Amino acid sequence: MKRVQFEHSAVPYLFIAPQILIISIFFLWPAVQALYQSFLLEDAFGMSSQFVWFRNFEDVLTSSSWTRSAIFTVVFSVLVSVLSIAISLFLAVRADEVIRGAKSYKTLLMWGYAIAPPVAGLLGIMMFNPLMGDLYKAFNSFGFEFNHIENANDAAFIVILIAVWKQVSVNFIFFLSGLQGIPKSVQEAATLDCKSPERRFWTITFPLLAPTTFFLLVINLTYAFFETFGIIDVSTKGAPGGSTATLVYKVYVDGFLGADMGGSAAQSVLLMIMVSVLTVFQFRFIERKVHY
Amino acid sequence: MATVTLNQAQKTYPNGFKAIHGIDLKIEHGEFTVLVGPSGCGKSTLLRMIAGLEGISDGEIIIDDKVVNTVAPADRDIAMVFQNYALYPHMNNYGNMAYGLKNRGYSKAEIDAKVREAARILQLEDHLERKPRQLSGGQRQRVAMGRAIVRQPKVFLFDEPLSNLDAKLRVDMRLEIKNLQQRLGITSVYVTHDQVEAMTLADRLIVMNGGVAEQIGTPIDIYEKPASQFVAGFIGSPAMNFLKGKVSDDKKHVTVGDGVMLDLDHDVEAGRDVTVGIRPEHLELLKDGEGRINAGVRMVESLGAETLAYLDFGANADNVTLRLQGTHTFEKGEKLSLSVPASKIHLFDIESGQRI
Repeated sequence: MKRVQFEHSAVPYLFIAPQILIISIFFLWPAVQALYQSFLLEDAFGMSSQFVWFRNFEDVLTSSSWTRSAIFTVVFSVLVSVLSIAISLFLAVRADEVIRGAKSYKTLLMWGYAIAPPVAGLLGIMMFNPLMGDLYKAFNSFGFEFNHIENANDAAFIVILIAVWKQVSVNFIFFLSGLQGIPKSVQEAATLDCKSPERRFWTITFPLLAPTTFFLLVINLTYAFFETFGIIDVSTKGAPGGSTATLVYKVYVDGFLGADMGGSAAQSVLLMIMVSVLTVFQFRFIERKVHY
Repeated sequence: MATVTLNQAQKTYPNGFKAIHGIDLKIEHGEFTVLVGPSGCGKSTLLRMIAGLEGISDGEIIIDDKVVNTVAPADRDIAMVFQNYALYPHMNNYGNMAYGLKNRGYSKAEIDAKVREAARILQLEDHLERKPRQLSGGQRQRVAMGRAIVRQPKVFLFDEPLSNLDAKLRVDMRLEIKNLQQRLGITSVYVTHDQVEAMTLADRLIVMNGGVAEQIGTPIDIYEKPASQFVAGFIGSPAMNFLKGKVSDDKKHVTVGDGVMLDLDHDVEAGRDVTVGIRPEHLELLKDGEGRINAGVRMVESLGAETLAYLDFGANADNVTLRLQGTHTFEKGEKLSLSVPASKIHLFDIESGQRI
């Protein structure tokens, strides 16, 4: 790599200063505070605190509720990412083939993007309301004994459904532009070389979408980890019994509702570590395979 | 080897635009046919119809006695070379050439033999493991040709394959394509807007204009006897000079510009208004006063091997181009004396542009 030496001057630092300031105020400062707080044991009113080293971490890691939430988060994130990527890829490929009225299809499929997560959560939970929810009634009329208020799997199903639905439109936009970035002549050359459209898709189109897919995988995992907070808070609130609480939601519940600041801070530090590891893993091992 | 036959092939787009107005054509075994014309004339559309990338609205496309109108592109046993190479960027060059064979169920050993043979012919042996983006434009186009020849198709289709290359490489590749096609003897259809490529490559040339084949013939035929004013203007560089003229009463002369009289040996009625076509290279420069034509020089372009002079044929005529071998120096406004052999004069109908 070639290094370019610039004259040292204050100007470049001035340019970067706003960004540094924002990161410092909204990320570094809270992160340091969380780290400090994770070593403290505080009473519920914040009147007194005691430095307890790693006891908060011990408590978190040995608690069954945290382990359960961690497992749920992993399953939830993987399912949400994989399902929303798969569904949106399918939709994008089909929409790309449409000739008449293509614009209307595409616009309608993108609309979901404009909906805020809590609104999506509200819509979802209303559809599954035991008294007036159409989907709730429909599921039960088909003979499923669907009851998300008591059954953890049913509740998880609802949260995943809403989270996937909300994310499909985002992925759809990226896949569509990815598909349109594949030169038409390359696809035509492939039609001469390969008769089966399915085979053509898996050998030409999909590999050429790999950079898009990787990017979306990162985006979707982040989304499932953090941005589904609004959906969960509005729909299930982690119920029944914390079985649909992701780690992020649990940080909020334990810290702000349970007033266990130390334990909550320890959880968020663990979360930070997990995300860092995940990021390194993604870029190290997956990204290497998607470049062409 | 195969023949390609078009019977009244037509293409109408859903918006009603008629791109191809019924073309009849028979391409013989191993023949190199070039479709040439200005952009938008339908030449690429016609090629893509043969490939199956565009549907055919009416008529028939026949490859080797089999009507292929509705046959999938992959089943037509054709191979196509695209203008922008259209290589698969995620596969190496070996993979690019092998892809079509793999999908047709060849064994690994067969594929390897065929790809290596193609690579040898195209001098790509050292580049097989590389990705297309690591190659230069010329090498990429060779890989694209390799992808076409490994399958030993019945027909090669070329869609302006040299347009993305620089001038020198274009000349080299042109020779290479001609060489390769003659060696393999595969029936080929080649689309270009470059009339030099068209003239040099074609066994048979099809000049297209507005979705119609204006003239079909050998390059020399078309050069010597263009069927219409359009063909005459399109084939030949610099383009043919056109002048308004009137045939004299004794039918032996035609008057152009400000009363310049040219000899004529056409069978044409006296007093008829015609368009007179003279190729720049057929104007002969004579010593002072001997020629029938006297014209002033407006501008001169010296290309070294040849000199182009733009002449003033009077107020109601466009510039007339004169092409001379070697270097000549003319003063601006210098009067030149010229003549044209009667056999080199082309006459076209003023209305229809058809050759008289």
